[in-house]
Amino acid sequence: MTKQLRQSTLETIGLGTVHNIFSSGKLPVDTDSLVDQIFGQSGNRKSMVISGANGIVGAGKLMQLGSRLNGYGIPIIALDFPGAPDGIGPQYQGLAGSFGKQQADDIMSNVIRLNYDGSRLPAILKDLKPAFLLEAIPEILEVKKNHYKVFRENFENIEIRSVTSGFPASELGVGIAHPAFPHQINKVWEIVEPEPSDITKLFWSMGMIPLRVKDNWAFVLDVIFCGLTLSCLRYNQASNMPYWKIDKYVRKFMGPNPFRAHDVIGAKGANFLTWSCLEHLSKIYGDVYKPTPSLVERVASGQNWYPMNHLRPIINSAISGDEIDEFNTWVLGSLFQMTSLLIHENRSDFASLNIIGEVCAQFRQGVLASARSFGSEKTIEIVEKYHKLHPSAATNSWHRDAFENMDDNNWQQLYVNAEHDGNVGVITIGRESYNDDVNNELNRAIDWLKAENIDRVILTGDFHHTTQLVGADTSEFYPALSDTNEGYRVSYQWSLTARRFYDEFKNSVAFVNGKRCLGGMLELFMHCHYIVSLSDSDLGSPEVNLPVVPGMEMCHIPFRRTSSDNHSKLFKLLLEGRNVKGKDSTGWLTDFSGNMNECIQRCWTLASEGESAQARRIIEKDRVNVIFDDNLSITENKSILAARKAILDTIISSCSVGYSEAIDVQSRHSAEFMTTSHCKYGMVGSEYSKVSEV
Amino acid sequence: MGSKDSIFPKARIPYGTWGSSFFPAWQMSAMAEVNIGQFAAEAMSYIMGKRDVPLSELDYLVSGSTIPWHWKFWNSPFLAHCAGKRVPGYHVEQACATGMKAVYLAAADVQGGAGDVVGVLTFDRTSDSPVGIFPERRSYERTIALSDVWDNFGFDPATGQAMMTTAGNAARKYKLDRKEVDELTFYRYKQYFNALETGMLKDVLVPLELLNLQGKPIGKIDSDAGVRSITMEALRAMNELDTCITSGTQTHASDGMATLLVTTSEKAKELSKRPEIDIQIISKTEVRTLPALMPEAPALAVKKILADTGLTMNDMTVVKDHNPFALNDAIFAKELNYDWHKMNNTGCPLVWGHPQGPTLTRIIIEALDETVRLGGGYALIFGCAAGDVGIAAIFKVTDGGK
Repeated sequence: MTKQLRQSTLETIGLGTVHNIFSSGKLPVDTDSLVDQIFGQSGNRKSMVISGANGIVGAGKLMQLGSRLNGYGIPIIALDFPGAPDGIGPQYQGLAGSFGKQQADDIMSNVIRLNYDGSRLPAILKDLKPAFLLEAIPEILEVKKNHYKVFRENFENIEIRSVTSGFPASELGVGIAHPAFPHQINKVWEIVEPEPSDITKLFWSMGMIPLRVKDNWAFVLDVIFCGLTLSCLRYNQASNMPYWKIDKYVRKFMGPNPFRAHDVIGAKGANFLTWSCLEHLSKIYGDVYKPTPSLVERVASGQNWYPMNHLRPIINSAISGDEIDEFNTWVLGSLFQMTSLLIHENRSDFASLNIIGEVCAQFRQGVLASARSFGSEKTIEIVEKYHKLHPSAATNSWHRDAFENMDDNNWQQLYVNAEHDGNVGVITIGRESYNDDVNNELNRAIDWLKAENIDRVILTGDFHHTTQLVGADTSEFYPALSDTNEGYRVSYQWSLTARRFYDEFKNSVAFVNGKRCLGGMLELFMHCHYIVSLSDSDLGSPEVNLPVVPGMEMCHIPFRRTSSDNHSKLFKLLLEGRNVKGKDSTGWLTDFSGNMNECIQRCWTLASEGESAQARRIIEKDRVNVIFDDNLSITENKSILAARKAILDTIISSCSVGYSEAIDVQSRHSAEFMTTSHCKYGMVGSEYSKVSEV
Repeated sequence: MGSKDSIFPKARIPYGTWGSSFFPAWQMSAMAEVNIGQFAAEAMSYIMGKRDVPLSELDYLVSGSTIPWHWKFWNSPFLAHCAGKRVPGYHVEQACATGMKAVYLAAADVQGGAGDVVGVLTFDRTSDSPVGIFPERRSYERTIALSDVWDNFGFDPATGQAMMTTAGNAARKYKLDRKEVDELTFYRYKQYFNALETGMLKDVLVPLELLNLQGKPIGKIDSDAGVRSITMEALRAMNELDTCITSGTQTHASDGMATLLVTTSEKAKELSKRPEIDIQIISKTEVRTLPALMPEAPALAVKKILADTGLTMNDMTVVKDHNPFALNDAIFAKELNYDWHKMNNTGCPLVWGHPQGPTLTRIIIEALDETVRLGGGYALIFGCAAGDVGIAAIFKVTDGGK
């Protein structure tokens, strides 16, 4: 019996707990079997149809699914009207860029383009035996319903999913798989279906991120994104601030660019979708969602929100002081009110509600995490202040009780979860980059396992919201660019958390289960007693190229855990910033690599049995001698040279003291480099300038 | 005290729903770099935002300028687009009287039902004003090039005289004393700097930051750049260019914009932060005096409007004029037997410059703001315009809270 700090999100799509994966020694499903189940046996596969295939969604998903199903012999049928402008051809360059020309050619050669008139399917379709239809035709309810009818009349048992962003499954009569923009690369799909289906499980097995949401008019992403756009439109109406300027403030304070996003997606279509979503919501929830006249006008005109090139703005409509508070009240107040509705209606689990904002709408901090950082009282106060500015929003769809229980584990563990069976615990990270939220949640997860008397733990990605762990969230470094105390705090506090895995558990095993594990995430993993990695995963310390100095003890822990024979490899890793494959890292950086099931089983063995299964590479607590052979690639980039020197100094300084003192040395070096011009004009500083200068 | 009903009883100017840029002198600010129409429209949106007036309230736009600018053909509909609210409207031009004429027409439009909220947006950029090329097939010069600002100032085609000559003519006609004109000028500078220092213009003038094509700030327009304090000695020492005319006793070319709203009474109460204040246009008149005597035309217009309304100078709480030449005020004082020390308390174009289109709009805003500060009453506003024209209007401010 697995006990959970909160429900695993994996369970919501019918795939059990993460703990089950390790205890059973394998993933819950695999692509091969699911392809067989859905499309039939190899040599006699049925086909997949994407209708509206030339549209922005259809073409994007054609590429994404086509590339993943390539090699299975499943014909991919691109169906559209005869006059539809070609949306598939332009995808080829991107495909070739990602997979190389040969594989791109293979993928495209598997695509069969067919036309139809909207009422009669092409006769040849019968021969291709469609088993799965992904519908991506225009958002007109009756047209969609007729479309399904035609398919069902011809192919009785066909699985159908609509990519609709707004119509509920109950209206359409089919399941929903609503994808997030940009469609070629975004892996998130909002899924609506009575029970998790094989289609959803297939998506997951192919590395995508299906998130279960409730069947309502407009799903979670659209409520958040269209709601944010509406908040901004209302602020424009109240303040006259131009849309482009509002976009910059939203980017500065929250992350997204709602108006730029509409223009990039294609204002004509995006304006319509946003209007359509809000129009439906306002019918159910009242005026709080009513589209503004400015949106209605742009639905008709299809006009962009940003000024045309010849009308680049002249007046800087900057705000300050109280005006900024008012701006945040308009936008956050409205956003939090919508979030209260999502929670009240139980639209999805808390972690998924939160992550949708981050991975699909560019929020730096998910909306729930943002509310949590304000705290219950302040969040409610912001919404109530918003109601004073916009009284009609107060009349309905405000559920203050949604924010009254923030101590609950669902609120407190948005990114990190823990599970155990009384013997071995699993801590999962559901955010690709490390930030203070993840740090705090990790500490709570560790505390919980300790309180449950669990002293064996596997630390890994959550097999759902994360498909890779990319390192520290560099936006967390912005305050540190001008404040060494802040840089020191981040480095020191995060390192303290990481050390708990070494110091407080009998056996701790870190498992790199995704495409890559870099930077701060790799540093975190370095603190576990064992590190297991998929053979093909990329491991690396890209800090030198940003440039920053690693802050979570990468400059001394790996040196303390391996013989001096391997130090040159570590120098290369740290000073050149080049990744190493998991299979090439065993013995000096990791302890085991293999395929997924081999790794899962090894993690379980190492966590359960520890030293009796495999000797540990212990951390040398005394000072260690490092030998630098200066065998690095040549560069003339001054920032990289400066970072190399700073990292080398940090390595030498932190290795020349004991383990207990090294945390201070490493944190100090990392913090000091953060305030240099190299960092200020490097990636972190430039990103900060871009975001903060409005 | 006399009284008179408004010529536009439905129209009101909501207190505080107005603002002007500073007026930097010719080529002295980033404003010299921009498309002035787009600039003015964006500034209107910004200023109304600062006044908590959503431009979504706007029904109609009357714009005014005198110097050709890129895309002027599209006039108010284009400007409204730049301001962020697509409404209809038109463009008006009456040389230096443009600002007052735009306000008058906006009130007429409210009265006539064109809209409940009519915007007035006036602006001009004298800096780098365009040179027009005119084919003249009947002329011995087949093509004529005309520098819009300077060539027009230098030559009235109806009289063959320059603006400055009209001032010299008027000075001689009224036998003005150079010393009095210098003293009047010096006093006007004192009034302006006193108004700045005591904050009397803080609710009128709005600092604006300008962006370049890359979206980076290229400058702040936060002063009437080019205006320097002047001494009596310096004024006395200046060369006389014509009778009583020196470089000190005449205005200078500048750039700028000014905006206000004219609305129905109900909308004025809704949009103004002080709904108890009621501002009406009582009357407006225009005269055209004899050729090449422009500076006397305003005084004649005032005489006419007083006669029309039955009001007297004693009824006026605030008196303010557009005075490109200091002697305009001296002539007005003589004709109306009025002490010129009592007028233009917060400054005037003689000091802060003359961007043409928005000049009288800024004067109206300053005058109405001052009248409110003084507890209400009548504001007399007047000025001259190209073609020997004088224009005058009387506004009535009632502070219902008092």
